[in-house]
Amino acid sequence: MSTHTGTRGDTRLRFSGPRVGAAVTLAAWAGLFWFLMISGRTSLYLSTRTSWLIPLGAVLASIAAIGRIASARVRDPEPLGIRETWMFGVIVLPVVLLLALPPVSLNSYAVNRRSNSTGIGSSARVVSGPIDLVDVAAARAVVDAQAALKARAGERVSIEGFVTEESGEADRFQLTRFVITCCVADATISYVTVVDAPPGTFETDQWVRVTGPIYPLGSDILVQAQSIEPIDAPAEPYLTP
Amino acid sequence: MAVDVEPRGSTIGAPKRARPKSSVVWVLAMLGGVAVLTRAVDPSSLPWLRNLLIVFGSLLVEAMPFILIGATVSAAIEVLVPASAFARIATLPPRLQMPVAAAAGVAFPVCECGSVPVARRLATKGLSPGAAITFMLAAPIVNPVVVASTFVAYRGRDTLWTMVLGRLALGFVVAMTVGWVMGRLSSGELLRARAAQVEAHEVDIAEARWRRFFGHMTGDVVFMARFLIMGAALAAAIQTFVPQSIVDSVASLPVLSLIAMMVLAFVMSLCSESDAFVAASFTAFGPAAQLAFLVFGPMVDLKLAALYMGTYRRGFLRTAVVAVGATTLVATLWIQVIWG
Repeated sequence: MSTHTGTRGDTRLRFSGPRVGAAVTLAAWAGLFWFLMISGRTSLYLSTRTSWLIPLGAVLASIAAIGRIASARVRDPEPLGIRETWMFGVIVLPVVLLLALPPVSLNSYAVNRRSNSTGIGSSARVVSGPIDLVDVAAARAVVDAQAALKARAGERVSIEGFVTEESGEADRFQLTRFVITCCVADATISYVTVVDAPPGTFETDQWVRVTGPIYPLGSDILVQAQSIEPIDAPAEPYLTP
Repeated sequence: MAVDVEPRGSTIGAPKRARPKSSVVWVLAMLGGVAVLTRAVDPSSLPWLRNLLIVFGSLLVEAMPFILIGATVSAAIEVLVPASAFARIATLPPRLQMPVAAAAGVAFPVCECGSVPVARRLATKGLSPGAAITFMLAAPIVNPVVVASTFVAYRGRDTLWTMVLGRLALGFVVAMTVGWVMGRLSSGELLRARAAQVEAHEVDIAEARWRRFFGHMTGDVVFMARFLIMGAALAAAIQTFVPQSIVDSVASLPVLSLIAMMVLAFVMSLCSESDAFVAASFTAFGPAAQLAFLVFGPMVDLKLAALYMGTYRRGFLRTAVVAVGATTLVATLWIQVIWG
């Protein structure tokens, strides 16, 4: 064996820079997925339907990183090139951005950059149970759901959302919530108009719980406020149909 | 011994290796600077930055697992499936290869980001480029998850079956047509040559199978991720800075509603598993315009454009946009004539 080794030169295994770079990059992504899962921040980016992607991503990225580092030692390692180093940096950049970003969700700025939720929910959901903004969205889109909500006109509801402005009316605002199906990129808006609100008490983007009777009036759906209570932003700020 | 010593650098090698090391320091400094800046600026007080980062992040955390799935499947194909298996398929007449490839998409329930690395691998393993492209374009539309999500999105509407079956049929037709258009290319003409040195250190053919598996898998992820990041950044910027009223006014042009919806699908870069819910929200548009959105988007959008540019040779993206766009337009025009 020693003779054989001698003819082939140095057979010691050394770490390959590019392979270690790839392993570190994947480990960074695995770390992001684990962080999102453990910190409960998954709901800031994905819906409850797609939240399974985070543990899947964590496991796959971890396995890939471990597999790459385990296979990173080679006989003739190549140095890590400058271009590759920057490429790895670019791939890690979103990880750093998302880790540094405080736990925030879309707010009123995004409202006029989104369309109304009109293709979600169903009439069956509106018929019974507590009414929420997914039901409101369904009532705006589906005739049956609209009829089901009309049948419940005057019923006392309790709806949570954030305040968006209703121009020109001091005693009313819109109570809004984003509805997402897969991720925040597909967010659409659902809202009710809150009337009889104390003027100037609530600020745009403030999260509140509004309680009062609901009145569907054509495409406009009103809640006559009997109480408006400030609340903390919920852990799951987006609704999923 | 000198042969062994020199490449690892003592006198000659040292300066060359110093530069990458300094670039590692620069990259780490850049990443640290971005982290500090992000905390210092406080994106929650800058609505546009907050919106931009949330949308950018959500696109990536949703798409990256699919890239990982695609890369895993791709690596498994490379390491476990013998080339002879693909050679057999490749001997089928091209007319038969494309329908078979499109039908194979039914069994691949991932969205568009995952199908790109698999198609690239299939082409390098000997499947005809036309069939590989057909698979890549069809899989994100015809797979059962997307069919189910389309069903759920349109449940309770008169147009339910028009949308579900129309999308499925158009997915097959458009993918096979584009595959046929590009079928004359060889895989060498289709695929972009990856940097030789990158390929070399990713995989050594003499290595154990498990080492090759991870070489291919991580290579694909790293290769695709940078283009995905570029595409996600662009899509997030457009979603952040372009008001919905402008998008709506463009999309509501009566004669151009089909093209407008395709442009919208391109810009929004939605996942094919969620786009039906967004399409359904465009109630002002008829089923034909919504189908244009649902067929064009999973085949060509901003994030895919970046992936295509990284995977295929120059000209592929242009041909794909024209071929997918023209076929989708013609097909949906017929539907518009019939159903409005």
